[in-house]
Amino acid sequence: MSSTPVWLRWTWVVPAAFLTVFLVYPLVVLVATVTSGAGVSLIDPLLAPTIWQVTALATVQALVSTALAVVVGLPLANVVSRYRFRGRAVAQALVTVPFVLPTVVVALAFRSLLGSGVPQGFVLVVLAHAYVNLAVVARIVGAQWVQHSGDYESVARTLGASRWRAFVDVTLPSLRSAIASSAAVVFVFSFTSLGIVLLLGDPTTRTLESQILRQTSVLLDFPGAAATALVQLVIVTAVLLGGAVAARRSPARRLQPVGLRPLPSRLGARTAVLLTAIAAFVIVLAPVAALVAASLRGGSGWTLSWWASLGSIDAGTTRLGSPLQAVLTSLGYAGLTAAVAAVIGGLAAIAVIAPGRARAVGLLALVPLGVSAATLGLGILLAFGRPPWDLRATGLLIPIAHSLVAVPLVVAVVAPGLRSTDTRLMSVASTLGAHATRAFWTAYGPVLRVVIVGSAALAGAVSLGEFGAATFLGRAAGPTVPVQIVRLLGRPGEQSLGVAAALAVVLVLLTLVLVLIVDRLGATPSTRRSGTA
Amino acid sequence: MHVRSSAVLVTGLVIATLLSACGGSGDEEVPSAGPSTVRLLAHDSFVVSEDLVAQLLDDTGVTLEIVSGSDAGTMVAGAVLAAGNPTADVMFGVDNTLVSRALEADVFKPYTSPELDWVLPALRDDTSAGMVTPIDYGDVCINVADSVLADAGVPAPTTLDDLVDPTYRDMLVVEDPGTSSPGLAFMLATIARYGDGWQEYWAALRDNGVSVAASWTDAYFGEFAGGGDGDRALVVSYATSPPAEIVYAEDPKPEAPSTSSMTDGCYRQVEYAGVLAGAANPTGAQQVIDWLLSESVQADVPLSMFVFPAREGTPLPQVFTDFAGSVDDALQLPPDEVAANLSTWLTDWGTVMGR
Amino acid sequence: MSAPRLAIGGLSLGYDGEVFLRGIDLTVDAGEIVAILGPSGSGKSTLLSTIAGVVPEVEGTITVDGRDVTHAPIHERGVGLIFQEPLLFPHLDVGRNVAYGLRRHGVGRTEAGRRSVELLTWLGLPGYESRRINELSGGQAQRVALARALAPRPAVLGLDEPFSALDTELRQRLAVEVAAMIRESGVAALHVTHDPREAETVADRVIELSALGH
Repeated sequence: MSSTPVWLRWTWVVPAAFLTVFLVYPLVVLVATVTSGAGVSLIDPLLAPTIWQVTALATVQALVSTALAVVVGLPLANVVSRYRFRGRAVAQALVTVPFVLPTVVVALAFRSLLGSGVPQGFVLVVLAHAYVNLAVVARIVGAQWVQHSGDYESVARTLGASRWRAFVDVTLPSLRSAIASSAAVVFVFSFTSLGIVLLLGDPTTRTLESQILRQTSVLLDFPGAAATALVQLVIVTAVLLGGAVAARRSPARRLQPVGLRPLPSRLGARTAVLLTAIAAFVIVLAPVAALVAASLRGGSGWTLSWWASLGSIDAGTTRLGSPLQAVLTSLGYAGLTAAVAAVIGGLAAIAVIAPGRARAVGLLALVPLGVSAATLGLGILLAFGRPPWDLRATGLLIPIAHSLVAVPLVVAVVAPGLRSTDTRLMSVASTLGAHATRAFWTAYGPVLRVVIVGSAALAGAVSLGEFGAATFLGRAAGPTVPVQIVRLLGRPGEQSLGVAAALAVVLVLLTLVLVLIVDRLGATPSTRRSGTA
Repeated sequence: MHVRSSAVLVTGLVIATLLSACGGSGDEEVPSAGPSTVRLLAHDSFVVSEDLVAQLLDDTGVTLEIVSGSDAGTMVAGAVLAAGNPTADVMFGVDNTLVSRALEADVFKPYTSPELDWVLPALRDDTSAGMVTPIDYGDVCINVADSVLADAGVPAPTTLDDLVDPTYRDMLVVEDPGTSSPGLAFMLATIARYGDGWQEYWAALRDNGVSVAASWTDAYFGEFAGGGDGDRALVVSYATSPPAEIVYAEDPKPEAPSTSSMTDGCYRQVEYAGVLAGAANPTGAQQVIDWLLSESVQADVPLSMFVFPAREGTPLPQVFTDFAGSVDDALQLPPDEVAANLSTWLTDWGTVMGR
Repeated sequence: MSAPRLAIGGLSLGYDGEVFLRGIDLTVDAGEIVAILGPSGSGKSTLLSTIAGVVPEVEGTITVDGRDVTHAPIHERGVGLIFQEPLLFPHLDVGRNVAYGLRRHGVGRTEAGRRSVELLTWLGLPGYESRRINELSGGQAQRVALARALAPRPAVLGLDEPFSALDTELRQRLAVEVAAMIRESGVAALHVTHDPREAETVADRVIELSALGH
């Protein structure tokens, strides 16, 4: 349209440049590294049996994690998304909490909760994975399920199907696309898990991600590590594409905007729904409660000494600073990440709505989603951790990696917000005499302000909890909080455990504050748009 | 109006964050290493008393800045990648399983410290042709929970061969060599002892009920009877673990530790320091290496890091003399053999142990 | 004269907990079609839902083939339903849709397949078993829905404005055809509609909903 500002056509330049330099180039370096060993072809490291053994292990673990998440997530989806009852909004927000918690925190929380009862290994890892991903299944499936009016099920019942049969024969097939896409996400998450398998796992729960770490830090085998990273990238991409395909071909049931319904009148069903809601509360809060308890337990009773020692160097694992210093380090990175991701992601999102080929940049911005943290960390380390482009001294390696992880989230939040803005606002502003740029800001300004701040907070939360890349790009200034927690857990003694738990609680609080900001500002502006034309 | 103020706000936020990142979270830029500052790259377990660092400044004018490289493996990996362009001047904590890789990548600049003359004869030549300097060593040995064995009426094992004897069935816990440094050392010990038959030895261990833990912490404090709640009487640990038991015990400290160290089948881990090739302050780096080998620092080493000093004649603390395992013929493998075969060995180990 | 297949005594109809009609008495014989007439929103659909058990917790009694099903679960009542929308299961083909009720009643796969082919042919859709639902026209879909509902031989069939989504000409034609088939099958049918002409065309008796109770 003629009133589109000229510069809109160029918003794709900055994100494209950023992504090319910091995402594409490191991936290219990774490929080059595979062949960098003496006399090694591209194929040799890829044929190493270890890669495929670990792939098999990780696949089994991810499948079980996914199955568990779906099985537990379905009733949660049913309860939290479909029925109206007091406390429903709280339940829905609560179910999302595990997903935004740093994985290292979740791992420690589970160790505190189940540590003595359940031995380290497969079971613990699978439980933790399902815990984190309950929200994924519940929200994605719930969003589709809420549109079911139940009439197909009634028909099935009049034809002789029991309640359970109607669910299996009619409800599940119509939820197939939601289940498929959420399952793909859970699978990828579990397949590329690092923090949780390191802290809760045993050799049966190895993932390619932990293998990359091992090959880099134990075997110093960079070509091998690069090969593993690339194999994992291919597998993850295939799964995500497969999920997208499976999600698309679901047979369409006539959906209606039914919305929330009242609790069922049958006592049995009503009780089941309320019990599920209560179970959701308990399941979500128990590990967090155990974590808080672990930070206060010491000697033979309760103590505040771990919290008190957060400021002392001796409580940490490095001579460079106290655990509190790690919090400051993490906050610094989070701030940088928030700023960078907001700018890059915001521009990429604007590019998505701009006319023309700029749209491709928006898609490119989503690519890091499929690239695991360790892959990003290794790639950036290989590309920018040494000459000719040595950025180690700038201290920007970790924020760059974190920004890459956060940019897709920013785009995913900002783009729909922009798309839902009425474009007529721009025309109206133009007819009232505003030039193109001003018209743009008039129309999109309010939305942008809200979603950019909201998504910046989200990016900050992601950075705070990120572990995989930070482990690779360990800085001279000291570890981030997740890295510090993992190192503390490698040390024996009550103090290490108590301090680690206290740090984890700090992370939880910071994360919750940021998520609240995201929520309050309403990252979905469609519900907050005021004074539309 | 709105546009301008929010643009200013965002810009201000970005600048503020950058500034705070520079100031708050530590040095984001590398200070030019003048003649009085030396950056020491060390792993997380490096501990040295503050007064010794102050003494270094007094004696030589060198201000020591410790740069943490997390665990030894990650540290060396970073150094290998940055070979020739280090951000530090000297690196401490490369051990004999990793040093070969570092040498391949030309990470070090050769230096022979005058203090080397005072190093134990066994270690004096362990410098990889003058590229690195041995600073300390530790022995990874089987630790025994004596009281538990006594209660069971079983004599303590004395050799590696004993471990596969049915007498000690279900008693041993080891660590995964892929994720644990002592675990790796123990695996290397078995390779050094049994040569090509090492996999059969492990098969026998497996059949004898050995348990594999992911880390030393899990093994020692989780499964070893002498360290925590576990019920296993034998664990792969350090010759210095028995003295550590006393040092870390709550008051009143016990007279003697409840554990002891087997002296056969121990693997010697040597830790080195080296001047980094391309360092900004190589002279200072050399001074730091001399300092690490000095009498005072070497005397500090046992209780700081629970390893043995490389310097001959260094007085050991009483707990060490009394209770640390004294190993006469520790097992060792040449570093380049380790570097060349490590990956294969780990895979083979995994196959034998069914992991 | 044989007993009525459907007998309702003193039934109350409620919505969201509020009762709006009580004391409904009604009987329907085998092969009989009774039309219930009423304007939109008067609760005619609720009558069918209540009889089928989709709306539970009622006052009064519902007897099907002499059996008291007032508190029986939906799938044990023997009451089939057809709605305005055919509501054919989208992930099953036509044949499997029709066979669904048979399978739920314990009929084996081959036998169910055979019977559904029979039924489809009888309803004027020979050879349609393998077609996908989205390939059917509106009228065809409703006929498949009818076949599906009749396959498990229900005692009672409730039809909730089944033709109102179709165009006028098709509607009339289908109404007559379907009425004939229902009578032939011996089912007791309750046809709910707001269109008096449609009611006259298909039904043996026409009753105003408001006249049924108070």
